[in-house]
Amino acid sequence: MTNLIIALVVGVFFGISLNKAGLTKYHKIVNVYRFTDMTVLKFMMTALVVSMSGLYALRGLGLVTFPNVPATYIVGNLVGGIIFGFGMALSGYCPGTAAAGAGEGKLDYLIPGLFGFLVGAVIYGLTYDQVFPAISALANFGNTTMPDLWNISPFLTILLFGLMSLLLFYLIDRAGWQRKEKGE
Amino acid sequence: MKFILNYIRKDEWSPYVAGVLLGIVGIAAVWASDSLLGASGAFENIAGLIGQAVAPALFDNMYFNFIMPPGITYGVMLVIGLFFGGLIGAASSGTLKWGKKDAANSDEQWKRIFGASVWKRWALAFVGAIILEYAAGIAGGCTSGLAISGGMLLAPAAFVFIAGMFVGGIPTAMLIYRNRF
Repeated sequence: MTNLIIALVVGVFFGISLNKAGLTKYHKIVNVYRFTDMTVLKFMMTALVVSMSGLYALRGLGLVTFPNVPATYIVGNLVGGIIFGFGMALSGYCPGTAAAGAGEGKLDYLIPGLFGFLVGAVIYGLTYDQVFPAISALANFGNTTMPDLWNISPFLTILLFGLMSLLLFYLIDRAGWQRKEKGE
Repeated sequence: MKFILNYIRKDEWSPYVAGVLLGIVGIAAVWASDSLLGASGAFENIAGLIGQAVAPALFDNMYFNFIMPPGITYGVMLVIGLFFGGLIGAASSGTLKWGKKDAANSDEQWKRIFGASVWKRWALAFVGAIILEYAAGIAGGCTSGLAISGGMLLAPAAFVFIAGMFVGGIPTAMLIYRNRF
């Protein structure tokens, strides 16, 4: 029960961050694929740098244990990601931003969005046996992390990811890697 | 203090500021509840709940019984929280769409490219949503459950998924926008 209340609170702040980053807007999502507005990438990479540093530091201090790490099965992660990108460019949302946008009162998020996810969930659940076991068996590395898999220091990995993010932010914000919208 | 309050009320924050908030939320979820963020899984829990009530025989399979058991799970509560988070965020900047004339499709870019037709927006959004949920199933999570949650634990899956998102998203946007890409 306590966990469910925590989930609700976590969700509220998650939703506020999505709203304030502008991710509950169709054009913010689609324009990351047109390279005319890289907000999504900046938002996600900042969140990743903060959370990976915090979590590995807290674990180093013995203050948290990690939950089950999402499983790596290269073909399924990649094919799923490609189809997901297709759906994102088509709809301009993903499951999380659609839920937050629905709360804002956007009916194109509330009705076709949330209903579409339920339909997709039913189709997936009913075809799971034919699809998932086969695709997740390919190049399956299990519930692993890069530091464990390659036997490298997590802090070095995070440092490299942080530097890579900073370089990318610099290129987007200062070196003109973001394309201009046509006609502007 | 006034500056901070004014900033909070803005329609859009810097993505870096909003990103720091999401990062802290991700840490808090692990620390306070030993759980990861996620959104797509909740729809599977709810679909199972509805399905087993409406057509018990059809939904009496391995997936809905064991892999994603129906119920009001952590993920479902998180998605309800997302809904209210969006509501609070928009309310703070006075941009709520409830009852507004353009609530059915409020995106100016969409209207400029595809016209004012609401059903066209809804049809593409509906098809897109079905595809998103199915793809999240195959990949093992969505942008929150896999890209953010997996990424913050340094799971290779997250970065493979993010690469896939761009491999799928860029050509789709090119196809839809054509010479306006």
